Amino acid sequence: MTTAAHNNRLPLTALFGVLLGAAIMVAPLVWTLLLSLKSNSELMRDSSAAFSAPYTLENYRAILVGSDVPRWLLNSIIVSLGTTAAVLMLCSLAGYGFARLDFPFRRTLFVFVLLGLAIPEQAVILPRHQLFATLGWHNSYPGLILPGLAAPFGVFFMTQYFRAIPKDLDEAAMLDGASRLDVFWRILLPLTLPAQATLGVFTFLGSWNDYWWPLISATTSDKYTLTVGLAAAQMNYAQTSGLGFLMAQAVFASIPILIVYIIFQKQIVQAMAGAAVR
Amino acid sequence: MKIKLLLATLGAILLSGCQSDDERPTLVVQRFFGECGAVYGKSIDVGKAETECGIVTTMLNRFAAENPDINVKVNIVAWPGYAQLSAQIAAGDPPDLVTMHQSVISDYQARSLLEPLDEMLADAGITTEMLTPAGQRGTIKDGRLYALPWDTIGRLWHINTALMAEAGLMRNGKPLLPRNPEELIDHARKFKAATGKPYLVQAQVAAPDYLVANLYTYLLAQNAVVFPDARHIRLNTPEARKIVGLYRTLNEEKLTTVAQDFPSATANFVNGGGGIFPTGTWMIGPYEEAARSGTSALKGYAVAPFPQLWGQSAAFVDGHGWVVPKDDRSSAERKAIVRFLSFLARYNSDWTRTGHLPAFNAVLSSSSFTQQPHRRDIATMAATGQQLPGFVQRQSAIQGLIGEELEAAVSGVKPIDRALADAERRVNELLSQI
Amino acid sequence: MMERRVSGMVFVLPFIGLYCFLLILPFVMGLWISFHRADLFGSRHWVGLDNYVRLFADPVFYQAMGTTFTLAVLIVPALTLITLLLALALNRASRSAAIFRGLFFSSSVLSVTIVTLIWRFVLTPDSGLIAKLLTAMGIEPLPFLSDPNLTVPALAITTIWWGLGLPMMLFLAGLQQIPQDMYEAASLDGANRWTTFFRITLPSLRRTTILVIMLQTAAQLQIFGQAQLLTQGGPSGSSRPIVLYIYEVAFGRWELGYAIAAAEVLLLLILALMLAQYWLSTRGEEVQR
Repeated sequence: MTTAAHNNRLPLTALFGVLLGAAIMVAPLVWTLLLSLKSNSELMRDSSAAFSAPYTLENYRAILVGSDVPRWLLNSIIVSLGTTAAVLMLCSLAGYGFARLDFPFRRTLFVFVLLGLAIPEQAVILPRHQLFATLGWHNSYPGLILPGLAAPFGVFFMTQYFRAIPKDLDEAAMLDGASRLDVFWRILLPLTLPAQATLGVFTFLGSWNDYWWPLISATTSDKYTLTVGLAAAQMNYAQTSGLGFLMAQAVFASIPILIVYIIFQKQIVQAMAGAAVR
Repeated sequence: MKIKLLLATLGAILLSGCQSDDERPTLVVQRFFGECGAVYGKSIDVGKAETECGIVTTMLNRFAAENPDINVKVNIVAWPGYAQLSAQIAAGDPPDLVTMHQSVISDYQARSLLEPLDEMLADAGITTEMLTPAGQRGTIKDGRLYALPWDTIGRLWHINTALMAEAGLMRNGKPLLPRNPEELIDHARKFKAATGKPYLVQAQVAAPDYLVANLYTYLLAQNAVVFPDARHIRLNTPEARKIVGLYRTLNEEKLTTVAQDFPSATANFVNGGGGIFPTGTWMIGPYEEAARSGTSALKGYAVAPFPQLWGQSAAFVDGHGWVVPKDDRSSAERKAIVRFLSFLARYNSDWTRTGHLPAFNAVLSSSSFTQQPHRRDIATMAATGQQLPGFVQRQSAIQGLIGEELEAAVSGVKPIDRALADAERRVNELLSQI
Repeated sequence: MMERRVSGMVFVLPFIGLYCFLLILPFVMGLWISFHRADLFGSRHWVGLDNYVRLFADPVFYQAMGTTFTLAVLIVPALTLITLLLALALNRASRSAAIFRGLFFSSSVLSVTIVTLIWRFVLTPDSGLIAKLLTAMGIEPLPFLSDPNLTVPALAITTIWWGLGLPMMLFLAGLQQIPQDMYEAASLDGANRWTTFFRITLPSLRRTTILVIMLQTAAQLQIFGQAQLLTQGGPSGSSRPIVLYIYEVAFGRWELGYAIAAAEVLLLLILALMLAQYWLSTRGEEVQR
């Protein structure tokens, strides 16, 4: 990440701006962490108590013992990973098909898929809810994962990527007697890993953050995702165990994804950049 | 390859999530009243629990512990949870038992979404005669019982008597309450001058139900007909304008807290932030405890029904009930429901520690109820309490619409008559679409 | 030959099948239901265009539309400008720049419920962080979540905090693509920092900027979770965006047909936006040639 011409020192005003921005980014997170480490009764009197000791891990203990948060976290992981894996598979297959193969109505079908880019989730979510009800698919992992799979953007993205790979590669392999599937699986797919990463990151985050669909599709607490589970707690917070416990839930629920983010930061940043370079 | 491994693991997780080796009948209980697992996580000691949340949590824990042959699943929804319930019913997967306000029952009952409970209640050993008149009125629709009534709830004035004394508003150890709107404003100004604090602590933010309860209460007091028939509401009336005007003045003169939602108002009152907190019966328990503890800033505490400001004394009351949404259920599941209903009935007495009035006659007359503090002060509410006519559907949605317009009126965003006219139009449009 | 043609179909069919079933079918169903007085639980009455007629006479619908546009206007320009500046400042190889990039992106991985949970207790006037800081400075706390003039800005601030990451990354990627020799040529010509910025950097980021603005506008038109969780659309509906309106009409009032009609109007809006983007970016390329 460098541009030689710009590699001189940051002007003081800009440095100040960045630092101020960083402080605004971090302050809510630190505040949340501090609140989560305080006893609920102390916070009930005055939340300024968060600025001073004593701190306690009691709220975190309570999460592990008496709450559904760990279960919701697991559900979120299952749904997001499931969606991501399935989207990558479907979009790679379709992208390869559209980019490399000849079959009837290929162009028409591709345009048909592109039309889907214009349909926002909100326009189909209510009828889809009715459809899934008729089929009895609600309140299940497949029911939570499936709606994320109709991802026309993914197909468009993968098709563009496959098109950019020189055709000589697969033609040479075909001459060596490899099958279509072989070419796809052994030669082309590994070349698309950067695109897979980009699409994967977008899909995962989209699914991880999805709120409306799990809100209306998951009907029992043991199928809630984090977004839905924590929603009930915060809208009710007068009647909860207290502010500290609530904030401990927020911290507890964010830690796994933040860790993943920190570990894979480089890849995620590259993946994001990949999206712009198309 | 990595992908293969990932897919295999995922497949395994998915499958394990789908299959359940549990042969027991499942009972999905859905409730509001909040989440307090950190305090009452595994406790089954109902008698020791306090607050709505604590009591209901320990009760459900206890039921699960006493009935190991039933797989009890609990959903805690954000109050009041009806949007979510509607989504669940539309999804074809409703819970087995749901807490529901009695005023809302007719919405679901009229659309045939609830199971009539006469038989199951009879199996649980509960007959109509055992229920209080208020409980019966709230749950019997078209001659059938559609819920196990659980309590009668009303709005009260929770009073910080220490601050009232400071403002000279105590007589013979009892708070001096206004007898008409002018006197209320007068008291409020006096209170503010003496203590520097607002007379009323009101939870006005994100709580449309509060303003609507005020409006209904004082419309009923003036014998106004709110719903002339099932398709119309009458709101843009002189009676309603008077009521909203009073609350507008309170806000305008800052005689009340203005920017507090329910949690902050609750905390504010207990921290001595104002004189009177008009809110539900459910806060008696927690506040009584705070005042008694001596460590809180709430040094003296009393409750009273809403004062009689216009016409006769009146109260708009409601109640909680447990309903069973329609669904295909096996006989084992029905038996589980029956067992749960009879369990609930046994703990109705514990529930009154929250401050609510009981739903069973036997509890109402029992000494364990009458000897709790303040219960005598609110007993009149059981007699004067009125509900809205049962033929009105969508009461929860209607409450939301009116509340939204009232918010605009009392905060001064909209003129009062325009807000009332808008509320009337919106409710009538909703009713015309049923 | 024939075999090969069919085998090609096999690669795209799994997707096409799911796509038809999960997107196209609900879309067509939705259009159909929007011509009905339909409730959530299956009753259907053909009413033709009645839902649409009612919608365009509904002041609450217009209020929701107004709120949605206000949110977009508050969020999109600010977000675009801030992220552009951040990208310019952080587009360098140093270790600290990398750390800051990571920091500004970190909020994007949090889910909406967590973001609102955090921000509720930043904004709320009695126990929030801002209130505590203001009180310490002797200033009266602001009722961010209840004053009709403050709720929409509060939602905008929350959303900007949450959404900085992606546009910043897009701008960084755009900066990386600007050929180095353009800068070298400019410095040989003796161009100063500002000239270089306005003559080279900014024009080269044109496509990225259009992309960022369009993606953000499309996203903000569909804002839902923040409003539902932080303000519940209140007070008196002043912070209710269109998607929350759709949700409430469907699940609170049970008027499914009416709710879907509102969703179709939203669809048309987003479609218009996409066409505008297409037109803008293609026109731009013609001009540049």
